[in-house]
Amino acid sequence: MKLQRFALRITLIIGLLSTIAQSIRFELESGHTKCIAEDIKSNSMTVGHYSIDNPNEGQPLPESHRITLRVTSAYGNSYHSSENVQSGQFAFQAVEAGDYMACFFAIDHQPPLKISVEFDWRSGVAAKDWSNVAKKDSVDAMEYELKKLADTITSIHEEMFYLREREREMQELNKVTNSRMAWLSVLSLFVCLSVAGMQIWHLKSFFEKKKLI
Amino acid sequence: METTMKAYAILGLLVLSNFAGDVSALSVTVNDVECVYEYVLYEGDTVSGNFVVVDHDIFWSSDHPGIDFIVSSPGGNVVQTMKGTSGEKFEFKAPQSGMYKFCFHNPYSTPETVSFYIHVGHIPNEHDLAKDEHLDPVNVKIAELREALESVTAEQKYLKARDARHRHTNESTHKRVIFYTIAEYILLAVASGLQVVYIRRLFSKSVAYNRV
Repeated sequence: MKLQRFALRITLIIGLLSTIAQSIRFELESGHTKCIAEDIKSNSMTVGHYSIDNPNEGQPLPESHRITLRVTSAYGNSYHSSENVQSGQFAFQAVEAGDYMACFFAIDHQPPLKISVEFDWRSGVAAKDWSNVAKKDSVDAMEYELKKLADTITSIHEEMFYLREREREMQELNKVTNSRMAWLSVLSLFVCLSVAGMQIWHLKSFFEKKKLI
Repeated sequence: METTMKAYAILGLLVLSNFAGDVSALSVTVNDVECVYEYVLYEGDTVSGNFVVVDHDIFWSSDHPGIDFIVSSPGGNVVQTMKGTSGEKFEFKAPQSGMYKFCFHNPYSTPETVSFYIHVGHIPNEHDLAKDEHLDPVNVKIAELREALESVTAEQKYLKARDARHRHTNESTHKRVIFYTIAEYILLAVASGLQVVYIRRLFSKSVAYNRV
């Protein structure tokens, strides 16, 4: 029985911003694991919905189509786990910042089948507007749109701060590398000379002891 | 929510809420060819995006030679091609609506991780306004504003991905400088020690007196 598990790592790098609905649909082969990771900032809300896409409309999903999901943080703490379900959801406050991984796994079947999974994962700004706002009237809808735009702008602004901070860190790193390279090269010259000097001194005293010089 | 995508080994992205389809920056490991599908609702929509190859540790060569990026329309025509690149921005007007395929081809055997972002933007025009009485001309302006903000966001994601790659290279440089220099010192000391030991042995009585 061939049991090849390869985890395809899909890293979702989502900035703070995610205004528009984004659900991912991917195919999960039975016996394989697919992982999606998202970079979540600390103390932000994150919600996720997942379900198996039904290829035959109108008919219920076959019982054998089941998936297992595990959501873990960058440090390995498990935040959500569900075994052999066909759909579900999770929501939690991300205390730790970093890459959160959501790994899907489908049990091996014979013949191997491909399950189409729809996964909607939002965090930060987008997790707020989860509920579909019914367009009561056009002014409300417009107000809603404009609020979303205002949130977008705020998160763009925060992202700029983040990028600026990263650039500063990188500049520090480069300066350190530069100075270390200079010092280490000068030091290598000294090391070379001192090693050569020690060699000469040691051999000279050795030969003098042997009365060869 | 209408999403029709078939993802192959990776990702399918997605979509929609009101006017635009979007996918947040994702990264995918390209072994040979990886395709991502995105549904474009309206003909004439602007599809924009960017992708950056996040380098793994390359030992000898200065940079990965690059991957190929090919966009195909639902009709099978190639809309855009970029060869041998390690990160580009792209933008095109969709000639027809339907499922577009965005493929990354890796000509070399080392798997590369590609971080990409694709955005489908739609701005309602007068034709849509006439059809739907709920649409105000203000909505057109709001859509334009949203698209402009999306382009800023896209640029930020591109910068973030490039910054990540740059940082990776810098950290690797830093580590290499320290590690290889210290290793060089140790190797130098060991080599000279071995030299001394060898010479001593040549002259030692047990080998044969003055046979050298």
